Amino acid sequence: MKRWLFALPAVLMVALFVLIPYLNIAVMSFRTPSATAIYGPGFTIENYTRVLTDSLYLGLLKDTLLFAVATTSICLVVGFPVAFHLARTNSRWRGLLYAGVLSPLLTGVVIRCFGWIVLLANNGLINQLLGLAGLGPYRLMYNPVGVTIALVHVFLPFMILPIMNSVQSIDPRLGEAARTLGASRARSFARVLLPLSMPGIQSGVILVFVLSASAYIIPMLLGGGQVSTMPTVVVQQLMGSLLWPFGATLALVLSLTALALVGLFGALTRRSMRGVA
Amino acid sequence: MSRLTIQGLSKAFGNVAAVHEIDLDVAEGEFVSLLGPSGCGKTTTLRCVAGLEEPTSGRILFGEKDVTRLPTEDRMIGMVFQSYALFPHMKVRDNIGFGLAMRGVRGSEADKRVAKVLDIVQLKGLEERYPRALSGGQQQRVALARALVTEPALLLLDEPLANLDARLRDEMRFFIRSLQRRLGITTLYVTHDQSESMIMSDRIVVMFGGRIHQIGGPEDIYYRPATGEVANFIGQANMIQATVVESRDGVATVESACGRFSCATGRPLVAGSRVTAMVRPEALRLVNGADRSAFSGQIVARHFLGSTVDYRIVLADGTLISVHALGGNASQTGGRVSVEVDPSKAWLLQ
Amino acid sequence: MKWFPAPRLCFIAAVYAFLLLPIAIVIPMSLNAGEYLRFPPQGWSLRWYVSFLHSEPFTSAFVRSLGVALIVAVLASIIATPAAIFYVRHLRAGREKFRLTMLAPMLLPEVLTSIALLFFFNQFFFGTQSMAPLVIGHVVITIPFVFLTVTSALYNMPPGVEEAARTLGASARAAFRRVTLPLIKSGIVTGAMLAFIMSFDNVNISLLLKPLGTSTLPIQLFDYLRYDFDPTAAAVSTISLTLTLSVVFLIDRIYGLRAVRF
Repeated sequence: MKRWLFALPAVLMVALFVLIPYLNIAVMSFRTPSATAIYGPGFTIENYTRVLTDSLYLGLLKDTLLFAVATTSICLVVGFPVAFHLARTNSRWRGLLYAGVLSPLLTGVVIRCFGWIVLLANNGLINQLLGLAGLGPYRLMYNPVGVTIALVHVFLPFMILPIMNSVQSIDPRLGEAARTLGASRARSFARVLLPLSMPGIQSGVILVFVLSASAYIIPMLLGGGQVSTMPTVVVQQLMGSLLWPFGATLALVLSLTALALVGLFGALTRRSMRGVA
Repeated sequence: MSRLTIQGLSKAFGNVAAVHEIDLDVAEGEFVSLLGPSGCGKTTTLRCVAGLEEPTSGRILFGEKDVTRLPTEDRMIGMVFQSYALFPHMKVRDNIGFGLAMRGVRGSEADKRVAKVLDIVQLKGLEERYPRALSGGQQQRVALARALVTEPALLLLDEPLANLDARLRDEMRFFIRSLQRRLGITTLYVTHDQSESMIMSDRIVVMFGGRIHQIGGPEDIYYRPATGEVANFIGQANMIQATVVESRDGVATVESACGRFSCATGRPLVAGSRVTAMVRPEALRLVNGADRSAFSGQIVARHFLGSTVDYRIVLADGTLISVHALGGNASQTGGRVSVEVDPSKAWLLQ
Repeated sequence: MKWFPAPRLCFIAAVYAFLLLPIAIVIPMSLNAGEYLRFPPQGWSLRWYVSFLHSEPFTSAFVRSLGVALIVAVLASIIATPAAIFYVRHLRAGREKFRLTMLAPMLLPEVLTSIALLFFFNQFFFGTQSMAPLVIGHVVITIPFVFLTVTSALYNMPPGVEEAARTLGASARAAFRRVTLPLIKSGIVTGAMLAFIMSFDNVNISLLLKPLGTSTLPIQLFDYLRYDFDPTAAAVSTISLTLTLSVVFLIDRIYGLRAVRF
């Protein structure tokens, strides 16, 4: 059966350069940190105890997850109507609209952050416009507000696209059937459309949550050093010092917590996905 | 052209036996249908003949040659798929010419043969079109042309008309059949539509649950079904339980709960044995007034169908039967009638 | 469009503005004749593009990013396409697991993958002294994209065409070459172009895996933005933007953006 040889390079790549490295992080997190080498001798759980008992790191974790929750919620509220419209519209601008959602994903996060810096700076476009109306200037940058705005901007397509896909696969006649059975538009939406779009909503929420919890560039650029999240602290640590085992622990704690929350979300919404996914 | 012989063909997918011990002989130039409900194994059988499925056991022979282990591309068959499977990235000319190209026929020779076969399927001049620019009926004929251009020994069709609307389907049935006759090509045709198989086939193979229930001509299958499933699948059938009174020269007299009548039978019967009589609705005649002969009963429903009238009649023992009378019949619901049986159209099932 | 059409359209238009304005605004900024990032621009000028061309760090980073992206696009396509074909046509058992494995690099947080590779290469290989770890990281990240576009193309093939080719006398290899490959070509090319864009724009992997003393364009821009604030950044951004959007435009023109399906 030499057919599986076709898949071998890809599987090897993923096994060697994703699976094993990830396992290695886990192992690394149990090693003793050292200031002179990648790690010191022996294994320890002190990294974990340090992270989980130090209020500094717990606060960091909380802040990071708060950003993620805020970003995800806003993306969901803002993105769902757009996704729905995109999925159902028949206008000839449809291709363009789709491109409008997809293109930002293909322009690079640094450029997008730069655009926001231009817009949000104290003398940036938004404050200038508000100034014309006699308002402001407001501090929209170098604080959580700016970071959140940029997070929402960067990850919004990741909410819109899965929901759009989900809604598209819903037979439009289902809504019509509901209406013939006496359901108003609102009830038809709530009891037919919404449950059937849950797979897409679930995907979008999980995707945006994980992405925004692990964002590094956006807090760095829009936070200007004033906003610290777990990823920014970890990367600083790894690049600046050699306490890699501790950095590994921080990264893992964040990831596992995010994963746990995602799992919780999945479990809570599983009921509403019965018969759908 | 060649004969097709299938011997003891079985195909199992995992633990599920899709096809079980199929034996079939298709003569040169014969048109045979595989008929049955979905899941009966007819498509699987066809695909085994095509080489697209590997049989679990059994043999397939084209003429004298055992092709069971031969790969599809070497079997010299022509196959038309339900979805047509036209190559979307090739023009009609290249679609049809594909089989020729595989056999090394190119250039002007190929073009000539493509043009000829397009003419045969009445699609002259469409060489430069792409499949997406063709209607369903046109695509179907291109698929047919593609299968025929290489002059294969065997033509296989897997429900090719299923995606066409009723009118087109009707036309295509006659078209395919007359084309097949003209070319004299041995053909195996899969369908779930019994009227389709009756119109087109020399013989019909009726299958249920992976097994052959009956092989025979259309009239054979219709008037002398081998099993109850066959009787019910083809047309309508009244099933009446009866006991044999006497049997001689292929005609049996039977006694049922609602009367005595005569039936045709294909086998010797012992008096007293219990049988099931299959009587076609058009084999029954309504005679006004009770007690004339055979059964008597009461009309409970009457449906005017145009050329016939469908009567539902409850017999003395509660059996509900269906009788098709000519359109002019005036008997009304509620009336009492006697029913006469035409013994040549009543048949005793095994 | 029956629910409150007017406010709904306004809302949607606002969202699109939100999505596109920050990107669009970079372009007029890059043509600003003035010193600061002021809007409206104080006159038009190409000086910042000149500044970019004179900046060795930026131009070398640009060339490096370009080169890496091309290599990554080719490698990712070569590796992922056979895997996709195997998955769609030949794999019987464990399909979900295989698919998950192929998509894993895309589903895992990039920062984490970057950290993992940083450790991995330093512990078991020669660290990040060459470009190889960076290229490998990019390839791993982009394999899922090619996998998705090629599997999508395979699924979109009309059913039965490969079997039809076989019944017409084509061997399995001939059927693949003459029927399957032409029909999935769009998927492969789209995937390769996506891989190109993803690699060119990548920051997270490049940040930790780049050899000392080298840089890629996004990283260079990132560093620049942390400390400097002149429209050279806007010029760089516009150039990068033009490049990636041209590729997107190419994909759309040749194959339609609907080919990009997640």
